[in-house]
Formats: sequence, structure tokens, C-alpha cells
Amino acid sequence: MPEAPTPAADPDPGPAVRTAGLTRRFGDVLAVDGVDLTVDRGAVFGLLGPDGAGKSTLIRMLATVLLPDQGEAIVLGRSTRHQADEITGRIGYMSQRFSMYPDLTVAENLEFFATVRGVPRALRRERADRLLDGMGLAEFRARQARHLSGGMKQKLMLAATLMHEPELLLLDEPTTGVDPVSRREFWRVLADLHRARTTVVVATPYMDEAERCTAIAFLDGGRIRHQGTPEQIAALIPGVLVEIAGADPHAIRAALSGLADAGSPHVLGDAVRVVWSGPASQAEGQLRGHLAAAGLVVTEIRPITPDMETAFAVLAEAGR
Amino acid sequence: MTALTRIGAVVRKEFIHVGRDPRLLAVVLVMPVLQLLLFAYAISFDVRNLPTLVVDLDRTPDSAAYLRAYEASGLFHVVGRADSIAAVDSAFDRNEAQVVVVVPAGFARALTGNEAAEVGVFVDGSEPNAARIAQTYSAALNQLYGRKLAVAWASNQGLDLGQSGAVEPRLRTWYNPERSSSIFLIPGLMVVVIMIVTAQQTAVTLVRERDQGTAEQLLVSPLRRVELMIGKLTPWIIMAFVDLVVIAIVGLTLFHIPLRGDLLVLALGATLFVASCLGIGLIVSAVAPSLDTANMTAFLVAFLPAFLFSGFAFALDQIPPVLDWLSHAFPARYMVTISRGVFLKGSGWAEVWPELAALAAYALVTLAISVRLHGRRS
Repeated sequence: MPEAPTPAADPDPGPAVRTAGLTRRFGDVLAVDGVDLTVDRGAVFGLLGPDGAGKSTLIRMLATVLLPDQGEAIVLGRSTRHQADEITGRIGYMSQRFSMYPDLTVAENLEFFATVRGVPRALRRERADRLLDGMGLAEFRARQARHLSGGMKQKLMLAATLMHEPELLLLDEPTTGVDPVSRREFWRVLADLHRARTTVVVATPYMDEAERCTAIAFLDGGRIRHQGTPEQIAALIPGVLVEIAGADPHAIRAALSGLADAGSPHVLGDAVRVVWSGPASQAEGQLRGHLAAAGLVVTEIRPITPDMETAFAVLAEAGR
Repeated sequence: MTALTRIGAVVRKEFIHVGRDPRLLAVVLVMPVLQLLLFAYAISFDVRNLPTLVVDLDRTPDSAAYLRAYEASGLFHVVGRADSIAAVDSAFDRNEAQVVVVVPAGFARALTGNEAAEVGVFVDGSEPNAARIAQTYSAALNQLYGRKLAVAWASNQGLDLGQSGAVEPRLRTWYNPERSSSIFLIPGLMVVVIMIVTAQQTAVTLVRERDQGTAEQLLVSPLRRVELMIGKLTPWIIMAFVDLVVIAIVGLTLFHIPLRGDLLVLALGATLFVASCLGIGLIVSAVAPSLDTANMTAFLVAFLPAFLFSGFAFALDQIPPVLDWLSHAFPARYMVTISRGVFLKGSGWAEVWPELAALAAYALVTLAISVRLHGRRS
């Protein structure tokens, strides 16, 4: 996988990305609304949020392809507004949709983008071989890009953005519409990059992918709602998450909606989860008592560490 | 150096695009030759051997001699004889003849009786170009024949009319003495072909980059806009020149068009003209919202003006003044002037420098605009 970029080359060892009041509108729609964001060097930063939250717009502004209406974005110590030319050679941007030349082969696409981005001839061949091998694309190097499957297309794009070994990777929903196996492979590549100290900003609608990030921001309606490490986000949940297993989860959920300390009850598989906001030590006793009084059979009650999906569901509900 | 490497990468990529697109290859390689053959052979503006039907109602040696004059001229080709005027209709209807000459009874008597003899010449007007020429030919032929009769009559009377009182214009056509239309058309056709190959194709190239999202990828790279433009234009300049040389060779060998002037002037003019066309194509490409719009717009601003406003098919001093004025806004007319000048008239720097200057200015302005329009960060 790519060698570590040399941080010494950059006179400014500040964060990889810093934005202040970043705003962009399209007509009447406020796509990104005053975003303040800091991405530390070496982070795998997850931008989460539903469709239309403004993730793509934010990433495109960081990639210098879109200018902000207001506010400022400093990428690798340079202003996207005034010093775009000093940024473009050092970042890799992977757009949401496939954006390679469909009539060029895998190898030709890599060769072209690497040449245009100033990779010396000797390194181009070597890196292309290494990347294609690492991603399982080696046998498809002579295939035209349009004949690749969805997952292979995403890997080709990632390989093309890695050819010049960027210090910062901006990935816009790289795994959307990709099969689970390819998704796992893709994240394996990102993990390797992370170990090589490459900063990664990745937008995704998948909450399970957030678990793999070192920091995350939850974007909704163009604003950042929550920001921090996955642990910090989980800690924002007011109370402890408790999982209740029983014979009839739907009846249990219905019975719990009357209990004041049991917030956001929801069914997940054959269990029910609630956010217990009362004293943690009393959670099991009180829940058991309440459900027994309702005549329901409970097999197990245990506190669990919240996953991101639950955390955001709970936080989104609390925010309303 | 690195800029050259980047431009080289774009050039190579563009050639791969063309090489993998059979339709595009056909447009670039086959269409020019096809058009050349089509225009030079099938669409001939020459009028010769007009199919002619003669109706001799006089049946005298005089009338027969008169009708022989038509055959001898080489302009009319007598395809048949008939005995009644009714034959005119059916001959035209069945497209057997475009001209019918009717010598009425009493032709010989009128001539010997010193009266004006009348003949009827019918022309099929459904093909105006041929009709007009047939009319002119027959009028000239009759005038000539009348004069011959007068001289014959005078010498019969013992007079030598000689050349007294006769003014005989001696017309000569320069540069294209046979007035063959292929000699006239081919230098202009080159211009039309280049315009189609270059403007039409570059018009879609930037739109396609935007559609594919690759334009955005190129934005996130050190590749500068000027470098992208140069890289995109170079292959088309090369291909346009290949077309040009092929057309020139076919024209010189197969159609025997002359090449009398300065080849360097022609090459320079062609370079500037190609650059102008590409500039137009790139402007269209930078502005057009979709591939269809780009294609349509290119057709309107490149193909039509090249065809109508260049002097290629229609003489510019015969089109309405507004259109003549409009034709100055398109580069084709300058190039047609240069091309015909160099090929047919032996023109050089001294003759066509105004056109060269106009094309140079045109190329500079359009390319500058296209670079400015394309790839602005939005």
C-alpha cells in the first residue's frame, strides 16, 4: 500500500482540513449551512447523514471543484478559494458517480490520471501494478472501464485517486451500491491507508461504516448536528442502552412506551432496545418489574454499548 | 517539461477515444473522401450533352442543315426525332429530353424569301439550372447560325460581307478554362470537410467530459485549462491535416485540379482555419448543457455557414447583402478564398494576406474565449 506521505514537505503541520462557516446554496436550497469542521492529520473522518444532507456538496468544496458562497475551507494549509492550484496535486477526490473514461482500459485510466498528476513514468507502472494487485484488479487491467462491475469500478476509481499518493483522500460515498464483499475489501484498503498516515474523509450513508472511523460528523439539513469520536458520539446518548430479549418483542416495546425512564424503545431483530435514563443500577429491576406487571415473559435484560446506528437514531429522535 | 508531459497524456487519450469509436473514425476518415466523390461526380454543376428532341415539320435541306448545327455544337445531344408538337409533352414527361427544337413548316421558304424564319425551342424548366443554360446555348447557336446564313446570302449576291460591322467578342475564362465544376468545388469542399470534422467533433468533447464526471477529476489535478485545450485540439489538427492532404491528393490526381500558388500560404491558412473551427467547437462545448444541444448547435454554427456562407456552393456576391454581411462572421469564407486563390489563381502572401489576418484574429479570439468559458470552478 502507499508509502507514508512526507509531512515534512508541508510547512503547516496544522489539521488536514479546517472549515469555518462554510456555506453553499443552489438556488433556494441551502445545501451546506455554516459548517465548522476540523479533520486532524491521519484521521479517518466519516461524514454521515441521510441523502440530501449536504455531504457531497461539502466534499466537493473541500476538493476545490465547488466554490463556497460564504465561509472558508483550509485544506492542507491552503485556501480552497485562493490557492486551489496548490491543493489539487496533493489530494485525491473520488466522486459519488463513476468518473473514469469508460472507453479507456483500467491500465489506461490509471496511466492517464497519474501522468496528468505528475507521477514520473517509472513510478506509474510500479504503482499501477501494486494497486491493481492489492485490489484484485490485476487480471482486468486490459478491460475497458465500462465493462467493469460496480464494485470493480469503485476500486478502479480509488486506485486512480491513489496513483499520486495524495496526503488527503476525499471519498464521496465510495461504497454506495457496492456488494458487501467489495465493501469490506474497500475498507480494508482504507485501513491500510490509515496505517500509512493518509488522511481520509469519507462520506457514507451507512452507519456501520462509521464504526471504522476515528472521528465522525453527523450532517443533516446542511448542518453538522454532532461531531466527535465514535465513543464521544455514543456518550451523547442520555442514559444507558439496554437490550431486552423476550418472547414477544413487539408487545414488550408497546408496554415500555408508557415508562418514563425508558426512552426511544425500538425493536431490533428479536430484541427490544431502550435508552434508560434513570439510575443505571435500577434499570434491570425496574424494567423486569414493569414488564412482569404487564404479563410479559422476559428472558434477558443487559446493558450494551451503543452502535452508531442506534446512537444516531436515538440522537435524531432526541433532536426532534 | 511537466506541462508537455500532461499535454501529451491528453493527446494520447484523445487518440484512444477516436480509435475506439467506429462512428467517429468513419466521420474522420471515410466521410471526407465520400463527400469528395459525391460532390465531384454525382453533383456536377456542368451542363453538357443536353438530351434534345428535334421535330422537323419543314423537311427541307435547309431545316436539316439547321438542326445539324445543334448536333455539331456538342452542347446538345439529339436523342430522337418526332413528327408532331405533341411529342414535346411526352418527351418532357418521360424525361427523355430536356430540350425540344421544333422547326415549323415554311422555314426554308421564309429563309429564301428573305423573311425572319422562326423556330421553336422548348426547355424543361423543372431543372432551372440546366434550363437556363440550355436557353443561353440555343440563343447563341441561333445567333451564330443567323450570321452564317447572312454571310452565305451576301456571297450568293456577289457581296463580300467579310467581317464588316461585326463585333466579335472573344471570351476567355481564366483559371478554370473549361469551367469544370469539380475544379471549382474541390478547393471549397476541403473547407467544408475540415469544418465538419473539427468543429462538430470538438463541440461534443468537453460536454462528454462533463457528462462522464471526468471534467471534475481533471479539475482536481495540476492540469491547467490551457493544457487541456491544447491536448484536446492537437489530435484534431493532425486529423484535419490528414483529411486535407488526402482531399488535395485525390483532387490533384483524380480530378486534375491545378495547384498554382504558394503551398505554404495554404498550409498556414489551413492551420489558422482549423484553429478557428476548433475554437468555435470548444465554445459550443463549454456552453452547451447536453450532448444533443452541442451537436445541434455545432451543426448550426459550423456546418450550415460553411455550406451556405462560404462561397463553396453559392457565389457570395449573389446572396442577399444581409447574408453576405453575416458570412463575414464565420471563418469558412476566408478559407474558401484562400483555398481557391492558391489552387486556381496561383495566389501567395500578397493576395490573401487579409484573409490570413482575419483567420488569425478569429482563431485567437475564439480559442481565448473557449479557454475562459471552460472549467471555471462553479
